Amino acid sequence: MAGTLTLEDIVRKTTDLPSIPSAALAVIREADKPDASAQKVAEYIRQDQSLTARVLRLANSAYFGLARRILDAREAVVVLGLRSVRNLAMVASTYPWMIRPLKGYNLGPKQMWCHSFGTAVGAQLIARETGKADPDAAFTAGLLHNIGKVALSIWLENKLPAMMAMAVRDDLTFDEVERKILGFDHAEVGAYLAEEWNLPEPLVLAIRFHHHPDECQPHEPIVDCVHFGDYLTMSMGFGLGGDGLRYEFSTHALERLSVDPEATDRIVCDFVASYEAYEKLFQDLDQAA
Amino acid sequence: MLGTQLLVGMAEIQVSKEGPLFVCLGLGSCIGLAAYDPVARVAGMVHVMLPAAFADKPVDKPGKFADTGVSAMLEQMARLGASKSRIVVAMAGGAQVFNFGSGNSGRLDIGKRNADAVEEQVRLLGLRCLGKDVGGNQGRTMTFDSGSGLVKVRTVTSMERALCNLRGS
Repeated sequence: MAGTLTLEDIVRKTTDLPSIPSAALAVIREADKPDASAQKVAEYIRQDQSLTARVLRLANSAYFGLARRILDAREAVVVLGLRSVRNLAMVASTYPWMIRPLKGYNLGPKQMWCHSFGTAVGAQLIARETGKADPDAAFTAGLLHNIGKVALSIWLENKLPAMMAMAVRDDLTFDEVERKILGFDHAEVGAYLAEEWNLPEPLVLAIRFHHHPDECQPHEPIVDCVHFGDYLTMSMGFGLGGDGLRYEFSTHALERLSVDPEATDRIVCDFVASYEAYEKLFQDLDQAA
Repeated sequence: MLGTQLLVGMAEIQVSKEGPLFVCLGLGSCIGLAAYDPVARVAGMVHVMLPAAFADKPVDKPGKFADTGVSAMLEQMARLGASKSRIVVAMAGGAQVFNFGSGNSGRLDIGKRNADAVEEQVRLLGLRCLGKDVGGNQGRTMTFDSGSGLVKVRTVTSMERALCNLRGS
């Protein structure tokens, strides 16, 4: 396949590309503005009935433990805040297709979701603890960091054993093998999709450089947060596929975030606790998917 | 309980003398440690997440840490009639990211530190380890059929393979 297809060809020829409803994309773009309007966010959500239903189901989940039911998008924004609702809109938009298996990466049902959501929670935690990036933007970036895998999966079906053999033989990371075989890797494909969706630039950068944050010039803290969130998620075994942990970790990302490596074990504990707390969010979501 | 499956989630300890299949799913840098007393026919498994408990923080789940989890599992097994001197174990997991670039991995090597810490506990407690599959960059699933004693490990890309038999047969 090497050299025969461009990244654009792959995206154009993949029939089952991930998608995010335009209403949810409008929510992200609005929430990203310094003068974001809660009313506009609520209006964008209301434009999409299915999105509204899922956001309300999440808002009324055990995770938030509200005393009374939230009945519409406007109320959700008022009660939970604009940033929480933006994250709920992203979760509601990505969950239905992220729970599908990805054969090309040997990911079973829900595993892509499990890994993406773990990275979102990890990146948010790191952003919050370090104060280096907006925790909610980091959450969204973490959630979307592997969208390129959804597009590439079909092209890698049945190739994984050979790719892993090549990785071992040539001492390569999995993304290096992707580049050797395809000419590009899942991070580049993901960034291409994110650009097509007109996502804010920091999100595009986080997707593009999540395995190689040192290459992002100038450095973006959100990229480092997603890189570290991805490491935590892989280490804890959340949604590991056939590529496993065959990636590189940059300790320079930790230095830029001013995270003391000695604190790693405590961060792991906080991360797992955060992830487990968030699981309450999904108790009802399968019915809404 | 013969034929039933006991999922051992992260930081959990499960023990039984009724022959269930213990399962540790999706071990990344965590370690699954299976244990068995072939005389009392008491079995157990712990899913260790980190090497050591924090000195300044109470331990919420003993199974979370190697230095509290292994002995806590043995205590639970002892309550079912197991004797430490007869217990044999097998361990799997402890994967880590492929490389740490140009930096020093230090404390980030959770997989290796977990494997070392569990091995240290096994040694300190005088347990005999019959099988070990640790390290590398692949996630693992570990099963322990306490009816037959068979411990198996599989990765996402490899077939399930027998690691050892804790009944010794």
